[in-house]
Formats: sequence, C-alpha cells, structure tokens
Amino acid sequence: MKRQDTLEISGVTVRFQGLTAIDSVTESLVSGEILGLIGPNGAGKTTLVNVVSGFQKPTEGSVLLNGRTTGAETPHSLRRRGVARTFQAGRLFREMSVLENVAVAGVGMGRTRAAAHAEAMELLDWIGLAPKANLIAGALPYTDERRVGIARALMQSPHFVLLDEPAAGMSDLECDELMRLVRDIRDRFGCGVLLIEHNMRVVMEVCERIHVLDSGRTIAQGKPEAVRNDPAVIEAYLGGG
Amino acid sequence: MEPNSPFQRTLREFWPLLILSALVTAVVVIIQAFGDPIVSRSLTEALIRLVVVVALFIFIGNSGLMSFGHIAFMMIGAYATAWQTMPVMTKGIFAPGLPEYLLQNSHHWIPATLIGGVAASVVALVAGLALMRLSGIAASIGTFAFLMVFYSFYLQWSTWTAGQSSLVGLPMTTTPWVGLVFSLVAIAVAFFYARSRFGLALRASREDAVAAQASGVNVQVQRLIAFVVSAFLCGLAGGLYGHFLGLLTVDTFYLPLTFITIAMLVVGGMNSLSGAVVGTLFVSFAIEILRVLERGVTVGVPVKLPANSAEVGLGIILLLVLIFRRTGITRNQEIYWPWKPVVSVSSVTRRQS
Repeated sequence: MKRQDTLEISGVTVRFQGLTAIDSVTESLVSGEILGLIGPNGAGKTTLVNVVSGFQKPTEGSVLLNGRTTGAETPHSLRRRGVARTFQAGRLFREMSVLENVAVAGVGMGRTRAAAHAEAMELLDWIGLAPKANLIAGALPYTDERRVGIARALMQSPHFVLLDEPAAGMSDLECDELMRLVRDIRDRFGCGVLLIEHNMRVVMEVCERIHVLDSGRTIAQGKPEAVRNDPAVIEAYLGGG
Repeated sequence: MEPNSPFQRTLREFWPLLILSALVTAVVVIIQAFGDPIVSRSLTEALIRLVVVVALFIFIGNSGLMSFGHIAFMMIGAYATAWQTMPVMTKGIFAPGLPEYLLQNSHHWIPATLIGGVAASVVALVAGLALMRLSGIAASIGTFAFLMVFYSFYLQWSTWTAGQSSLVGLPMTTTPWVGLVFSLVAIAVAFFYARSRFGLALRASREDAVAAQASGVNVQVQRLIAFVVSAFLCGLAGGLYGHFLGLLTVDTFYLPLTFITIAMLVVGGMNSLSGAVVGTLFVSFAIEILRVLERGVTVGVPVKLPANSAEVGLGIILLLVLIFRRTGITRNQEIYWPWKPVVSVSSVTRRQS
C-alpha cells in the first residue's frame, strides 16, 4: 500500500464583510479517494477550494494536512507540501509553450530546468498532449487547455488534487474522457481527488462520496445514490437554485 | 543536414544568443573601421545604454512589472566605481567625505566596476524586499519613488558626490571595445537567466501570478532575483558611463536617461532579449541621424533640423510603435532558427473569450 495522507477541513467558515460564503463546513479526504463537491452557483464551492489551497484564509476553523494546520502556509508552500489545484478559467501561461506551462510547476518546486522538462514531457505523453508540447498554450482548444492545467497540477505527484469544474463546457463525449482521466489520476498517483463539478452525471459516476453545498452550508454528505435522492438536494437544484 | 541532430538542436537553442552577439559585434567592427572619433563616442554611449536596456529586459521583460528605478542603480554603480578609481589628488578636493582608505588609494577600473555592480545589487536586494511585494501600477510608482529618493539623496550628499557640481578626473577607460565586451556579457547573462528555471518561473508569474503561486512559485523571491541581477548589470553600466564621460553629475542619472532606456526597450519589444538589443541599436541609430541633421548637412541641398529634433523624433518613434505595433519591432519574439517554421502566438489564431 502507498502512504496514507489525510486532508481535513474542520469547521471552516469564511465571511466577506458580513456575507457568509462558507458556514462551518467539515469534510475529510484521504489518499486514493475521489470526493465530489457540488452545489448551485454561489454555493461557495470555489471559496472552499481557495481555502484548502491557501488562497483564502478561513475566518474560523482550519484545514489540516496530515494532522498539521495549514493556517500559516502560502499557496506556493502548500503546493510544495502536496496540495495542488486547477482553475475554472484554466489560467494557463498563455504566451508560453505547453511544455513550459507544465514544467513551471517543477521549477516552482525547486527542480532543475532539465528535470522539470523531462517530467513535464512524461506527463504530457501520459495525458496525450505530447505532440502539442511546443505549441503556445494560448492557441490550444478548450479541452486541451483543461488537460494542460491538470498536467501542471500533477507535477511532482501531489498528495491531493483539487479540480475546479474541469468539465464545464464539455460535450458528453469529452465528459466520458474526463471521467476516465480522473480515475486514471487516482490510480496512477494514488492521490486524493476533490472534484468540484456542475455536471451531475460526471459527479455521480466518478465520485465515491459527495458533499453538497448550498449558500455556504452543507446540506448533504454521503454516497452518490443517497445524495441523489436527498430531498434537500433536489430542492436546492430544482427549487431555489 | 539531419534536421534533429544534437548539434543542430543545440545550435537552434542558442541561436538568439549567437545571432545577437554577432549583430552587436558586427556593428562595432564596421563603425570602428571608419575610425571617426565622434561616431565612435556615440557608439560607446550606445553600448553602455545597451547594457542598461538588457538589464531592464531581465527585470521588466520577465516579470511584467515596469521599473522606472533602474537608473538609480546605474548611479549607485557609477559613484561607487568613481570613489575607487579617481586619482588620489582630485578625490580630496571633490569628495573629501570619503573614508580614509579610499582617499589614500586609487584602484584599477575593472575590479572597481565590478564592486560598483555589487553595490547596486546590494541596494536592490534591500529595496526589493519591500518593492517586490507590489504589483501592477503600484510597483511602477514604487520604483519611480525609489529613483527620486536616491536622486535627491545623492544630490544632497555633497561630501561624497559633490552634490550640484561634478566629480571630475575619472580615467577615461571606456572605449567602444570595452563597451562591446560588457554588452556581450550582459546579453549572455540575460539569455542564460531567461532560459534558467528562475527565468521560467518569473515569466509564469508575469502571465498569471495566481496560477504561478498554485504551481509552487514564490513570486516575490523570483522577482527579487531578477531585480538584483538587473541592478548588478545597471551598476556595471554606471561604472562604464563614468569612465566614458570622465566626470559624474547626479543630474545625469534622472528622468531623461530613464525614459530613453525604457523607450529603447519598448520600441524593440519588452518581452524579448532580441527586442532589447534591436530596440537599443535602432533608437541609437535614429537619434544619431537626427543629431547629425540638427548640426546640418548638405545632401545636394543644405538640410538643418531645429535643435532638440532628436527628442521629438524619439517621441514620434515611440508613439508610432505604441499605436501600430505594441509588441515592438521584434513582436516580443526572439530571433529564432530561420530554416524551420516555428509556431508563434501571432501566427496562430487565438481563441477569443
């Protein structure tokens, strides 16, 4: 068995000048697990990802990585400790090549240029983008952009990967590929995956557990089939929204 | 020839360095062949500015932050060098406040210039700890304030800098060949910095600071490294400049020099080393032509432009570039291996969103 890492979100609350974006959310994730995080727009999903990845300090509560609080960590130091993320908007380094985009995460974590390039090439090969390694990232189509973002997050084998709406704007066929990729990530790297997603089909099929947020509050937690039939979830998705 | 032989790949990788070095060397050799002393002086000045513009590229080009403060590093280097190299006799008269050791000794210009560069980079390290926390327009204003503070400080520090008057009697050791050597060194430093892991990490932060942080890049530290390296080169250029002019005045290192060097970088293309080199050569050449026309020449009919045409001309060049070609003469690209098509941003239709 591989090492067992844990990521605990413990009673996290985030308030922006009186507006409560997240209200005492508790959750945990271990190596090899795929956890889904869903909820309507404005439910606080991205804010929670920002907290876990160090971009947002929680007003109350804390995030623990292998039992140690991450309160004093910056985004780049958290990445070095093994918490990686992607972004909804992709956020590629547009004027740089695809290979450089991925290699940045290697040099960012102190590897030499040559080692980072070699690892980046290996990852691109695995994710099916090796032929496009020397293209400028700004010229990539949407789906490839997502893949580059994911490859960048997988450099140096992180312990946890947070994927922020990777399926947004994708066709059904592309979603199928994405689901396979998410499972592959878990199998190959043995890391824990937090999948934030709007696409219910993707979440239901690929996640082992699901956490549902609405207006910053947890309204359901559990197995996909239980969550699917939860009245509060149905209400949140079909009712208010 | 085998297109992907190791030799060809290496050659291609280092092509911008080779071609830019060859270009600058060729310009110097050709101009020196004519042996005109006035043109030769303009050439030396252009080479010193080239060192400054390449230094600006290292910081501005890779970090995406504008700096108006680098001429202060040039000034720090210039004075630090002069304090070492001035003849003992003149030092006591113009800079009586210097420490006893400097007053009693005079050193060779080469180690003195290097120490000048180190002095500039030490100041950059300390100032950068604060300045590199800023981004965008705040960073520009911060570096501009830095320039003004050091300008005023040196102006008032008259026992060391002679204040409103000048330090004179510096040995005039900066020939075009010295300028060439330092230019080539600066170009090589910039090239190897840009392709190093530090350059890669900093450019990532230029493209997207948030994504760079999420990739483990300590943005502040990377900016600071570039700031210190570029300050070192500016310090060297300052030392050369003093030994080119033979005298130092604080006023030399202020707004006109700041703007002309930034204009050179913008005209060439801020994000590429090729832009820094091509921009400096192009603007220097244009200014020189205008200066000649200001003095008056006869090309069939007598031509004479009014005084200060060079400044106006530079302004027009800058405007034209900003309006019609914002990425500069080089379009922010390096001069690449010409025998194989290379995909660039401008040649691929970008997704609009």
